[in-house]
Amino acid sequence: MSAETDDRYETRKAKAMAMGGPEKLARRRAAGVLNARERVDRLVDAGTFIESGLFGTSGSRPEDHDRSPTDGKVAGFGKIDGRECAVVANDFTVMGASSGATNGRKIGHMKRVATSRGLPMVFLGESSGARMPDHMGARGMGALLGNDPTQYARMRETPWASATLGLSYGSSSWYAVLSDFCVLRKGAVLAVSSAQLASLAIKEDVDPEVMGGWQVHAEVTGFADHVAETDEEALAAIARFLSYMPSHHNEAPPVHPVPADSGSAMAGIAKLLPERRTQVYDVRTIVRAIVDTGSFFELKPRFAKVAVTGLARLDGRTVGIVANNPLARGGAMDTDACEKITSFLVLCDSFNIPIVMLVDNPGFSIGVEAERRRAPGKIMNFMQALQLCTVPKISVIIRKSYGQAYLNMGGGRNSDEVAAWPTAEVSFMDPTFAVKIVHGLSPGEAGFDEAFAQMNKDSEAWGIAAIYAVQSVIQPHETRDYLIRMLEVHRQRLTNGVGQHLMRAWPTSF
Amino acid sequence: MATIQIKAEVSGSVWKIITAVGETIEPGGTIMIIESMKMEIPVICEDGGTVQKFTVAETEAVNEGQVVAVLST
Repeated sequence: MSAETDDRYETRKAKAMAMGGPEKLARRRAAGVLNARERVDRLVDAGTFIESGLFGTSGSRPEDHDRSPTDGKVAGFGKIDGRECAVVANDFTVMGASSGATNGRKIGHMKRVATSRGLPMVFLGESSGARMPDHMGARGMGALLGNDPTQYARMRETPWASATLGLSYGSSSWYAVLSDFCVLRKGAVLAVSSAQLASLAIKEDVDPEVMGGWQVHAEVTGFADHVAETDEEALAAIARFLSYMPSHHNEAPPVHPVPADSGSAMAGIAKLLPERRTQVYDVRTIVRAIVDTGSFFELKPRFAKVAVTGLARLDGRTVGIVANNPLARGGAMDTDACEKITSFLVLCDSFNIPIVMLVDNPGFSIGVEAERRRAPGKIMNFMQALQLCTVPKISVIIRKSYGQAYLNMGGGRNSDEVAAWPTAEVSFMDPTFAVKIVHGLSPGEAGFDEAFAQMNKDSEAWGIAAIYAVQSVIQPHETRDYLIRMLEVHRQRLTNGVGQHLMRAWPTSF
Repeated sequence: MATIQIKAEVSGSVWKIITAVGETIEPGGTIMIIESMKMEIPVICEDGGTVQKFTVAETEAVNEGQVVAVLST
């Protein structure tokens, strides 16, 4: 090869690697925000990134050819903790990382390779949306938008993880919510379109953070599985999420070493449960005691707090934890909780992750508001998801399990095994209400205490164990060992730990 | 100084206010306890702060979403 050809290669490469130029990069650095290439470098193992489309540029308007390095989206393959992954990182310094024809082809290629070869897919989102004016007009629409009929078809063949790390509109937001894991960095905005456009459309000032900031998605929409303070934290969260996942749906999740002190808190676990049944507690302290030390990774912690969902490990193997949390509203499950649990069950079942349910709730939230929020539909989506799960399911009833929620949390053969702590109470409704309905008595009235005692006795774990509707009554301190053994018993040997994925095409948000 | 409004997540009655005006609450700390559905449900301050005032008193009925305290950060 001639020296001239070599020079041209190096010149073009340097231009592509320079992204949107030193001024824009310096502004980001001053703001403490990583650029697209720094993000990729942080995400993948050193020296493993092989880029795809380094020399891509905008193909639509000739005046953009020389000012659109990589067409604003850095794509390629890299290893995360030693495992191959496909990565798309938006480069906001190049035309706002707007979507164009070339970068659309790059994303399509990444997704096809990831899906057909069994690689997790990572999206690092920060984009102004569709590129303007390229998309304008009938020809613009016809040429640029929607020429890939599989663009947004999610069949969960491989896990997808996304981080929203700046202003994110249009397809960047679509990929974020299509992902199995969605982290938002504080200060980022995830929305359909910009606050500026929203202000123009509805004729009122719109604050971007109020519209689509981390707090909205952590607490109201539930799109954010995790919130990070910095880019670095967000990228670490993606790596952590993927550490629980198989590379694709046809293998079991990876097995990790068990920290030496795992289970050391089990001797004191009974003390984490208050003696009086009217007192509440944070079920996450019980979860952390049971699972491998440091392995509990809670998802959506600020959304629908009555239900706790998270990934963890037991004896080094990934499990999905679903737990009622009495600390929030006594653990009574509302429609948000139904949606949170449903989407988590779909995640676990799609990627061969056994489910452990810890049960302590007084039932579903009822009332006018619940019905208006379509509670029956949400409860049944949750119920159907549980019944369609083909991964092993084990439920442990810690305290209360009432009514339909008893079934939704795995009672009545909806888990492969149901165990109860001696503190378990199982009935159709809270005994106080039952005394009122059956005997017409309220607390303080003559006969209430006797009727209450009888109702309460009839709810004890021994009754349901006697008819083998729970298979085991276990002491609280035995819970970790019981779960490890039962998960071993129920391991899916016939399919090497792979389930049927009956919900692989279910919605990615509800 | 920013103020945070602490809201009741559940309807019920205020059973005990376990903090005082001027007191600093750690993130995740309990401000008061509401009796609801026969349970003692804590009102928790996720992000921590200093209590400026209470907008409810013990034994008072509260509705879901009602502001029960104002904190500063």
